[in-house]
Amino acid sequence: MFDRRLIGVITLSAALCLSTDCAPAFDDAKYPNWKGQWTRIIVPGVGGQPSFDPTKPWGPGQQAPLTAEYQKVLEDSMADQAKGGLGNYPTARCLPGGMPRMMTFGEHEYVITPETTYILIGGEDHFRRIFTDGREWPTDVEPTYAGYSIGRWIDEDGDGRFEVLEVETRGPFKGPRAYDATGLPLHFDNQSIFKERFHLDKADPNILHDEITVIDHALTRPWTADKRYRRNPNPRPNWPESYCTENNAQIVIGKENYFLSADGFLMPAKKDQPPPDLRYFKQTQR
Amino acid sequence: MPSWIGSITLAAVTVIAAAGAQAFDQSNYPDWSGQWKRPAGVGNQWDTSKPPRRGQQAPLTPEYQAIYEANLKDQAAGGQGTDPTYTCIPDGMPRAMNVIFPMEIIIQPNITYVTIEYLSMLRRIYTDGRNWPKDAEPSFMGYSIGKWIDEDGRGRYNVLEVETRNLKGPRAFDASGIPLHTDNQTVVKERIYLDKSDPNILHDEVTTIDNALTRPWTVTKNYHRVRNPVWVEAICAEGNQHVRIGKENYMLSADGYLMPAKKDQPPPDLRYFKQTGK
Repeated sequence: MFDRRLIGVITLSAALCLSTDCAPAFDDAKYPNWKGQWTRIIVPGVGGQPSFDPTKPWGPGQQAPLTAEYQKVLEDSMADQAKGGLGNYPTARCLPGGMPRMMTFGEHEYVITPETTYILIGGEDHFRRIFTDGREWPTDVEPTYAGYSIGRWIDEDGDGRFEVLEVETRGPFKGPRAYDATGLPLHFDNQSIFKERFHLDKADPNILHDEITVIDHALTRPWTADKRYRRNPNPRPNWPESYCTENNAQIVIGKENYFLSADGFLMPAKKDQPPPDLRYFKQTQR
Repeated sequence: MPSWIGSITLAAVTVIAAAGAQAFDQSNYPDWSGQWKRPAGVGNQWDTSKPPRRGQQAPLTPEYQAIYEANLKDQAAGGQGTDPTYTCIPDGMPRAMNVIFPMEIIIQPNITYVTIEYLSMLRRIYTDGRNWPKDAEPSFMGYSIGKWIDEDGRGRYNVLEVETRNLKGPRAFDASGIPLHTDNQTVVKERIYLDKSDPNILHDEVTTIDNALTRPWTVTKNYHRVRNPVWVEAICAEGNQHVRIGKENYMLSADGYLMPAKKDQPPPDLRYFKQTGK
């Protein structure tokens, strides 16, 4: 009898929902409050441009556990850059940084829904979709810079609320990708796997951690860093647009990169760099 | 008390409890989830109900009609005219709503996000009752404030009205280069809603108010829903064959050389190179 009544109530609940075409209500209270604008925390005294491990300087200072082969890729990249080349840093051509570089940039936002958590980044890296709907790995996806991310919410302390988002991101990736602007490389086979744990700092809810581990064939072992972001106290922050393509002075023609001068002329990026081959023009150059 | 009343009460409590104290009650909002695409066979012109280019009959002022005509002439000669996106800058508003690559709409209580795969275009439409900001930087996508409307009084929102201001340029309505005014004082008003007879069709009535126009220009964009979609990155810079040097645009040949985009186009000025070109 009890069972029958319960079944009736459940049926009626479902009917009420269906009659108003309501999707199941999203219980916001079950999920952590990651709202707002997050910006990477700069560790005082760490020089250079942002890189994977925020506690160490960029490039060789990261002490990435690179294989000997990929240590040389880094050295070659920096040597090329010293001469004015782009090295192993495709982002200079306004290509997306992809994973994990995209988690190093500026302001970003988390939007949590039951099925997907979105990380809105902006610029060339646009955003990430982390699927939390229990799906399996797809077998037919196209390669991307951001990869394919599946996440799982965890109630770690058993208080009935999720506080950790565990994410795994797999390829096929596009590449080449680098950890930072020195061209610190990921393997050209683009078979990286990333494992992340996102959670608020236990002592400060305005700090978010992304503990990220990279498994990549350019590394001798998995490489982990704790990326931290601080929440902007302004609940209505500005979201500045940032598009590399808007003012990019790098011009790549074939395998060579050149520069655009401030007065709008092509100029060499490297010392004694020859001009581009103009074989397809009828007229001689001025 | 009849037992069915108890059951209804319990059912209602069950529904409310499921929502939780701080719950975002999705059932107040329309279901716009999934992937939205242009209908098959629809081109990328601004008003999809009319032919492209001059067939659009854009209500341009004489000054901007002349700019548009010069643009068409330049495009016919291989140039890009007043279509600025060949350098992979975003379409901006209102052109973004051409949805050349798929779109997703994420509804939250205080904000609706519109993400468009191409050119990393993201719109934030604030529905929290805020006023226009005084200090926001102009942007290609502009600043959007929206208002949810329960138009048929059924206790659910079904229309999102949006106004977008604070834009920057250069922008054009579509790839044919129909220009917006260079003063960037454009205001875009939209009404976004599901089709009454087919919930897998979304309409966006877009009205553009711009000083390049003699009157507000309204078109209705239609999008078709794909459930369980596959999302593909669309990276303009990845395969872009256009090269802009100064005010000229050139092309990259398949074998990696600079080549003219227009007939008899002179080569770029190489005054900063020591050596002469080959």
